[in-house]
Amino acid sequence: MLKINDINVYYGPIHAIKGVSFEVHPGEIVALIGANGAGKSTILKTISGLLRPKTGSITFMDTDITKMEAHKIVQQGLAHCPEGRRIFLRMTVMENLEMGAYTQKGVDEDIIESVFARFPRLKERRRQVAGTLSGGEQQMLAMGRALMSRPKMIMLDEPSMGLAPLLVEEIFDIIKTLNESGTTVLLVEQNAGMALEIAHRAYVLETGRITLSGTGKELATSDEIKKAYLGG
Amino acid sequence: MLLLSQLINGLQLGSIYALVALGYSMVYGIIMLLNFAHGDIIMAGGYIAVLILTAGRNPVLAIILAIIGCVLLSVLIEKVAYKPLRSAPRISLLITAIGVSLFLQNMAQLLFTANARSFPNTVVIPAINFRIGSINISLTALVTIVVTIISMICLTLLVQKTKMGKAMRAVSEDTDAAKLMGINVNSTITFTFATGSTLAGIGSILYCCRYPLVSPTMGSLLGLKAFVAAVLGGIGSIPGAMIGGLAIGFAEVLVSAVGLSEWTDAVVFAILIIVLLVKPTGFLGRSMQEKV
Repeated sequence: MLKINDINVYYGPIHAIKGVSFEVHPGEIVALIGANGAGKSTILKTISGLLRPKTGSITFMDTDITKMEAHKIVQQGLAHCPEGRRIFLRMTVMENLEMGAYTQKGVDEDIIESVFARFPRLKERRRQVAGTLSGGEQQMLAMGRALMSRPKMIMLDEPSMGLAPLLVEEIFDIIKTLNESGTTVLLVEQNAGMALEIAHRAYVLETGRITLSGTGKELATSDEIKKAYLGG
Repeated sequence: MLLLSQLINGLQLGSIYALVALGYSMVYGIIMLLNFAHGDIIMAGGYIAVLILTAGRNPVLAIILAIIGCVLLSVLIEKVAYKPLRSAPRISLLITAIGVSLFLQNMAQLLFTANARSFPNTVVIPAINFRIGSINISLTALVTIVVTIISMICLTLLVQKTKMGKAMRAVSEDTDAAKLMGINVNSTITFTFATGSTLAGIGSILYCCRYPLVSPTMGSLLGLKAFVAAVLGGIGSIPGAMIGGLAIGFAEVLVSAVGLSEWTDAVVFAILIIVLLVKPTGFLGRSMQEKV
C-alpha cells in the first residue's frame, strides 16, 4: 500500500534520514519506534509532502507521490495526524473537523457522525474553541480531524504524547478499532511498549537508519529492544 | 454639536484607515509579511479611477476597474516578488516589500509625472450636505461610513462562514497543518492578497473622494498610518484592524479639533511608539501559547 524506497532526507547540511526503505501492507498497523531525534517524525513529514527527500521514492497505492504537493497527497487518501496535534486552537471543534474534510465536496453528515461515534466527547464540545480542550481531547480532535478526509491510511505521530496512562490506553484502543474497521495505520511512537502491543509489524529507527524489523511480538520479546526501549 | 460633527468626521477618516489596515493585517496574519507596498496599491487605484473619470467615463466603471486593478496588481506582486521568497528569512521579504513600494512610486512618477492630479470627486459622490439640527454631514462622509460597514460585514462573513475564509484562518494559524488538511496554501495566500486589495481599492476611492488629489506618493503616508492602525489593533487580527483604524481616525480628528492640525501625523506615529513600548500585541493581538 505504502512503499518507501531508499529515501535520503536532509535538513540543510544535516543528513537526517539515511537510505530508509520500508513497506506498509493494506490493513496493517505498522509501528515506527525509536528514540527522540531518530528521525521518525521526519519520515512521516517526508511521506506527507511537508519535506522532500533528496533521493529515493515514495509510492502510495501504486501512485508515485515523491514529488507531489502535500495538499494533493491528502486527496489520495493518506492522512497525517502530526506530532503535537497541531489542531487549529483558535477555531471551534466543528471548524477543525470541517478543515479535515477540506478535500471533500461539502461536509458530509455521515462522516461527522462516525467521528462523533468514535469520539463522543468531541460531540459534547463541538461548539467550543479547540484551544480550551484538554490534552486528551485535543488528541482526539486531531485524530478525528484526520479521519474526516476518509483516509485509506492514517499516519499517527506520537498520539500518546503528554497524556495520562489511562488516556493512552483509550487512544490505543481507538487506534485498534480504527484499524479493525479497515483503515491502515502507520504509527510513530516513543512509547514502544504500547506500540508493539498493537502493531502487526514494526521497524526500529536509530539515527536515521532502520536497524531492526519484525512482527510486533518478535520485537517486544527481543532482548535488544527490551534493553533499549522497554526499560529492562 | 461640534463634537457630533467631529465624531462623524473621525468615523469617515477612521473607516478609510480601517479598510487599508485590514489588508496589512490579513497579509501579516497569513505570511508574516508587513506588506509596505499596500499603500501604493491605493495610489494605483487612485490613478486608474482618475484616468477613467477624466476620459469622461462612467464613475461606476471607474470604481469597478480601480478595484479590479488593485486586485490584479497585488496578486501580480505576490506572485512575482513574494512567492519566490516563501521559505526565505522574513527580513528578505520585508526588504522586498519596501523595494516593491519604491518601484511602484517611481513607476507612477514615470508614467504620470510627479505632479498631483485632481480627482473629480463630485462626479463619484455629489457634493450634497445634509443639515441635521446645527450639524452638517456630507454625503461623502455618509457613503464612506456605510460602504465601510457593508465591507466589514461581508469580510466577516467571508472569513467566518465560507470554506475559503476558514482555510485562510487555518493557514494563518498553522501553515503545515493546513497543508495536511488538503488546503492549497499558495492559492489561499493569493486569495488573501486579493481580498485585502479589494478593500484597498474601495478605500482608495473613498480616500480620493475626501482628499481629491492623486499623486505617486499619496499611498505612502496613508499606508504608514494604516499600518499604525493595524499594529494598534493587534496585527494579524481582523477586528483589531477595524478598531485600530477607527481609533487612529478619531485621534487625528481630535488633534485637529483642538487646533493642533499640523501635529496629526506626529501624534499617529507617537501612538505607534507608545503601543510598541507598552503593549506590542495591540488591542486584540495575541501572543500564541500552545498546549503540549
